[in-house]
Amino acid sequence: MISSDMLIVFVSLFIVFIGLGFYGKYWRRGDLNHVHEWSLAGRKLGTTLVFFLIGADLYTAYSFVAIPSGVFAKGSLYFFAIPYVMLTFAVALVAMPRLWTLAKEKGYITASDFVKDRFGSRTLAIMIAVTGIVAELPYIALQIVGMQAVLTVMLAGYANAQLVQEISLLVAFVILAAFTYTSGLRGATLTAIFKDILVWITVIAIIVIVPITIGGFGNAFKAASSSYVTLPEDLVPAYATLILGSALALYLYPHAISGVLSAQSAQKLRTSTALLPLYGIGLAVLALMGVLVYAVPGAMNFLSGFPASSRGILVVPSLILYSLPSWFSGVALLGVFVGGLVPAAIMAMAQANLLTRNIIKEIKPNLSDKSEIRITKAASTVFKFVALGFVFSVPATYAISLQLLGGILIAQILPAVFCGLYVKSLRKVPLIIGLFVGIISGILMVEFTNSFGQLTSSLLKTAFGPIYIAVIALGINLVISFGGSLIQKKMDSKKETAQ
Amino acid sequence: MSMHSKTRYIILALLILIPSIVNLGVPIYNRDSPELFGLPFFYWFQTFWLVACTGFYLGYSKLMEKKHD
Repeated sequence: MISSDMLIVFVSLFIVFIGLGFYGKYWRRGDLNHVHEWSLAGRKLGTTLVFFLIGADLYTAYSFVAIPSGVFAKGSLYFFAIPYVMLTFAVALVAMPRLWTLAKEKGYITASDFVKDRFGSRTLAIMIAVTGIVAELPYIALQIVGMQAVLTVMLAGYANAQLVQEISLLVAFVILAAFTYTSGLRGATLTAIFKDILVWITVIAIIVIVPITIGGFGNAFKAASSSYVTLPEDLVPAYATLILGSALALYLYPHAISGVLSAQSAQKLRTSTALLPLYGIGLAVLALMGVLVYAVPGAMNFLSGFPASSRGILVVPSLILYSLPSWFSGVALLGVFVGGLVPAAIMAMAQANLLTRNIIKEIKPNLSDKSEIRITKAASTVFKFVALGFVFSVPATYAISLQLLGGILIAQILPAVFCGLYVKSLRKVPLIIGLFVGIISGILMVEFTNSFGQLTSSLLKTAFGPIYIAVIALGINLVISFGGSLIQKKMDSKKETAQ
Repeated sequence: MSMHSKTRYIILALLILIPSIVNLGVPIYNRDSPELFGLPFFYWFQTFWLVACTGFYLGYSKLMEKKHD
């Protein structure tokens, strides 16, 4: 049962959040009837704002829910999230400023715009857009699962909790849809800063208060089993490939690319990317909560009232509830709640851009700018409610599993997007075949690993130990893309000599 | 001049490669001692490495900026 002061804090902060979202329309005013103004905030964001916006992409329900949940259930393996974010910024430092420069020069809004121009292939561009939209859906669903977890913990013990929870989520989403419709990426950026302040306060409070109340980290590790202290030897290949695969995939997600393209200059983008690993410290604290919770009897007792499969996602909200003063829990829980809401908005906007620019416009090329922005805004609303409907209809644990599949899919656009930035010799046909085979083999390996049942693992057992499927599928894809381009080049030069 | 730009290129590559090799070299940090405030080495090292990485990346970013002067 929650106290009234906590509820008052939670609701008042949510009202501030809504206010900021709508105010975004007037902030750094631009003509929001232009696509780049609405979806890239006019490409005017400086170092600090890009830091917060991309930070919002990173600090999603994935870090609040999926990672602590994994650490809680499986132990050290899920700490891979920390080296993964470090590596992803190395990838971003090399690839993204170049994409930014080309996008600014040629007016690209999406990765698919770049691919179409670079390879002159509509098929490849549409395939990349569809992959982006599909991979993003479970990511949005995961954000909603995180928000659901907050509400579940807040409403535990009340009658009609399920109904109240679904209505609250629906209300939150209507508000979110309304302000992204009017303010675009500006609204998302302002709310992202607000969200980050709440999250950082929470992270600092937890890392100070919890170890003191439980008598040091050591006690938490004693309460948990040995696979929590270090990584079991047989999981080293899994750990390394999860780092590699996830790091290569993050900046291929459409929402990450929108964040990058909203920067004011390539150098500002570089500086903010270089600083982003600092953000990971908060992520590390959140991940550690999966272990710390073992030493907090109140939270463990509360969690034992839920089925084992859904305990993990409740770790962070229940640790907040049982270790912080009640009014402060209101601050922290709202932080986690909007921590799902803000990224969901950014992701749905990125999907909408892909649908309008790279799919609808391909079919109807004479679409006016005005219709383009109208369809984009409407589509971003639709995508949010599709994800919400998805969460209401499938169990939460299943939503997290689908996120694993999303990562495997999005990694397959790497040869066309990242390699396409630097490698001149790549050709469109091998890229199309590589992308297709990468996706099909990825899905088959996931299904095989999970014996064609519910998805719980994304690691394939091999002779070298368990390997993250995204890396294997990407390997196959890269061999086809590069090998095929080489063969095509040789055939072309033979033709020339024959003539 | 070409020697200078070659050195610059090597330094840029190292600033990206060193942190990445450590991150992917799991056996380097997969141990429990020495502990720090009760945290096993595995956990505190990776958290500390976030700060070190920021240093490497800022170096890369600054060196890239110089080219445009």
